[in-house]
Amino acid sequence: MNGEGSRRFGEERALGLLRDAGKHLGAMREGLVERALTRGTDRLFTCDSPLGEVYVGVSERGVRLLGRAASPEEFARRYRERFGRLLSWGTDESTRALARRVATALAGEKVEVPADLSGTTPFQRRVLEVVKGIPRGEVRSYAWVAREAGSPKASRAVGTVMASNPVPLVIPCHRVIKNDGTTGNYAFGAEEKVGLLEGEGVPVSELAGSPYLATPTTGIFCHATCPNARRIKPENRRRFRSAQAAIEAGYRPCRVCRPAVAG
Amino acid sequence: MGMENELEAAEYMKSEDLLTRRLADGDPGAPREMVERYHAELYRYAWALLRDGSAAEDAVQEVFERTFTALGRYSKERIEALSLRPWLYRITLNVARNAWRKSRREVPVAETPEPDTRFGGASGSTSGTESRESWMDALEALGRLSERQRVVVTLRYIEDLSYADIAEQTGWPENTCKTLARRGIGRLGVLLSGRSDGEGGS
Ligand SMILES: [Zn+2]
Repeated sequence: MNGEGSRRFGEERALGLLRDAGKHLGAMREGLVERALTRGTDRLFTCDSPLGEVYVGVSERGVRLLGRAASPEEFARRYRERFGRLLSWGTDESTRALARRVATALAGEKVEVPADLSGTTPFQRRVLEVVKGIPRGEVRSYAWVAREAGSPKASRAVGTVMASNPVPLVIPCHRVIKNDGTTGNYAFGAEEKVGLLEGEGVPVSELAGSPYLATPTTGIFCHATCPNARRIKPENRRRFRSAQAAIEAGYRPCRVCRPAVAG
Repeated sequence: MGMENELEAAEYMKSEDLLTRRLADGDPGAPREMVERYHAELYRYAWALLRDGSAAEDAVQEVFERTFTALGRYSKERIEALSLRPWLYRITLNVARNAWRKSRREVPVAETPEPDTRFGGASGSTSGTESRESWMDALEALGRLSERQRVVVTLRYIEDLSYADIAEQTGWPENTCKTLARRGIGRLGVLLSGRSDGEGGS
């Protein structure tokens, strides 16, 4: 073989081997696709709920946005505008496990669902954490939430936080009602709020105008949906329009539901 | 280039436009499709640039993390205006450059890395030890080229990019890229025929 021939032979062999290498390397991406999606995007799934089918966007920390939308694209655009993250379908095992957990919780069972509130202000977060603790079947007033969140005069601001709750149902803002016992507004509509509460066993019409119950036997007054209030015999029930009125009548607040005087 | 290839190239451009539009619209299936479509070729590119399997994996992860993070912050219009493929290659090159800088700081004397044993397993039953050694040899030889030759040869011969695309991605003039590729292949030929001595016969 002459010098030129051997040079050409070497170059052609090099080219062939390079293409071969390319082919082999292409087969090595298994598993990496899912990892890239997990690290680079937040995940999306749909879920049945008392409000119908809802979209749920989750970060690594938990549920970040829940709501109805005309299409997955519309929901994902809203998510991107709000949090600056892309959404991809949650096909990985940990998202699927979280989806099952959310479905169980929205069906009314007592299951802890992690919420990612990292996009909210400290005040919003305090309010939302308080609301997260209101049990199914019970309601609390805006004034109560404000006091529990450490800002007793902020009932109005609590209303604003409820209206922009990123994760309704997971954080049950429908369980927060007006100080006079009427149900008030809801991001999904006032009617939906009544329906949700009735579905959870809350006697909505009884509460309107008299959200507090007291009993002379113990001298204690409660939120009307507090388990202690529900045990009061019908003949002993004294109804009050406000916590202030109950206190003026000589009753002490229940230590379980801690009724608050509106600020 | 034959007409079929041109048609294929046109189809490819169209589907890339479509993917960009789906990303802009918020289609939750689009990020997966982007990874599936570009992962393998970016991995090959990163492998040839970094000569190390796990470094290449890390690099590709970082590329997608960076691109998704950027896309999350871009407006709809900005996403629609993107040329996805060149953008991904540019980011891969940047990530590899960072890795080079880091490894130079850590290891002052460049050493030829051990062949990555995982590739033996991953290449599966279709190729015997002999052919695997050959293409590993080629990659190893590729790693001995100068940085610029390595980049251009990889883009031209492993990724099948045109010189115009290579020039766009590297920022080097097209003629420089052609020269680098010619010299790179020449050097590879020498390196590889040196290895095959005794095998070829006369
Ligand atoms: Zn009580």
